[in-house]
Amino acid sequence: MDEPALIQDAQRGDLDSFNTLVLNYQDMLFNTALRIMGDADSAADATQEAFLSAFRAIKSFRGGSFKSWLLRTVTNACYDELRRQKRRPTTPLEPVMDDGEEMETPRWLADPSMGPEEAAEIDELEHAIQHCLDELPVEFRSVVVLTDIQGMDYKEAARAVRVPLGTIKSRLARARLRMRECLQGFWELLPTAFRLEDEDLRT
Amino acid sequence: MTQTPSFRDVEKLSAYLDGQLKPSEVARLESRLQSEPQLASILKDLRQARGLLRQLPQRRAPRNFTLTPKMVGQKPPMPRTYPIFRFATVMAALFLFLTFATNFMAPRLVRTAAPYPYGLGGGGGGGEAEPELQMETAPEASAGAEAAEPMEEPAEPEALAPPEREPAAPAPTPEPSAAEDNARAEPTVGPSEKSGVQEVPTGEGFAQQTAPDEVEQAQPASPLFSTLVQIVLAAVAVLSGLIALILRYIAIHKWRAKAK
Repeated sequence: MDEPALIQDAQRGDLDSFNTLVLNYQDMLFNTALRIMGDADSAADATQEAFLSAFRAIKSFRGGSFKSWLLRTVTNACYDELRRQKRRPTTPLEPVMDDGEEMETPRWLADPSMGPEEAAEIDELEHAIQHCLDELPVEFRSVVVLTDIQGMDYKEAARAVRVPLGTIKSRLARARLRMRECLQGFWELLPTAFRLEDEDLRT
Repeated sequence: MTQTPSFRDVEKLSAYLDGQLKPSEVARLESRLQSEPQLASILKDLRQARGLLRQLPQRRAPRNFTLTPKMVGQKPPMPRTYPIFRFATVMAALFLFLTFATNFMAPRLVRTAAPYPYGLGGGGGGGEAEPELQMETAPEASAGAEAAEPMEEPAEPEALAPPEREPAAPAPTPEPSAAEDNARAEPTVGPSEKSGVQEVPTGEGFAQQTAPDEVEQAQPASPLFSTLVQIVLAAVAVLSGLIALILRYIAIHKWRAKAK
């Protein structure tokens, strides 16, 4: 795929070229939105909105990393979606048991849109991490998602969320500490291979 | 977790993990890590958290997020003649409406404006629609005038004077009496006819008695815009509209075929 050529064609209004880029990046954008939003439906909405915004604004793309530009767009779309949800809250995120107690297991975070097979093989680790991500303030969450999950460097992340580099460092450090503390609560739920003591996780 | 290290230390440890520290800062931090176990413990926590985050599986998008022309508001390219026909349709329809509106409104506007020319001695200045007004009211007025002839006699000398020469002030004198006489002499007159008489108190008996020429002119008012003009405008509107629609349909059809 000749990405620069596709981008140039898309800048001239060629929707087919842009859709080729969409197909190439849609998984990445959806995953970013999924981790920031916490549920698949909202993530899909934000992803679609991000691609729409990207097409409308693609003439303003002046080179550099197209991936970073798209990640910035989807982060903004997630912020917009979260603001919209805050204005018009829908169903509560946390379900309750029959006796009114809140479910403590992270299994409830299983995403019904992921299909029956996937739902049957609920990934405890994934849902525990997602639960802890959801506990973070959104500005911390977006930084963690962009750097630790999508692999952006600090400068790219700073451009994406439009904050100074120092703020990125600070937010990332706080977010990692909070994630570590939160995940302690799911210690027994985590498979042995993912125990925090496992030094193999270090990269 | 340690309390001793400051949050600035935690920030540095986090940046150290990501290779974002300067070499001099790296050397200093590594020497501290050797001597401060609490700092090393925090580094371990941060590394584990980051490692877990990186273990998150990548999900596939539940559907394709490709955009359609409709979503991005793209429109098929229209032929150059399309806006001409569209403009012609709009203008023809607008003019057609104006012709109807003018034909409908003009007599009413003239009728409401009529008392002033007559009352001010400006007889004959009532415009083209004035004769029509006289036609509506003149027969009853004349009947009324005949029935009330003895009572009207004193007013005749004044009314016989040509309206052009009549000063504005004397003119109202016969008007109320003529109107009242008409109303009295014609008890079967309908409400609408009465209102017609009241709207133009100066016109009826006065016109009948003094200006027979004007009665002859009182033909049915011909509309400002003839039916022929309206038919032409309607034909232009319909035809150009149809052509514009066909051009649009062909353009969209070709565009969709090309997109597929």
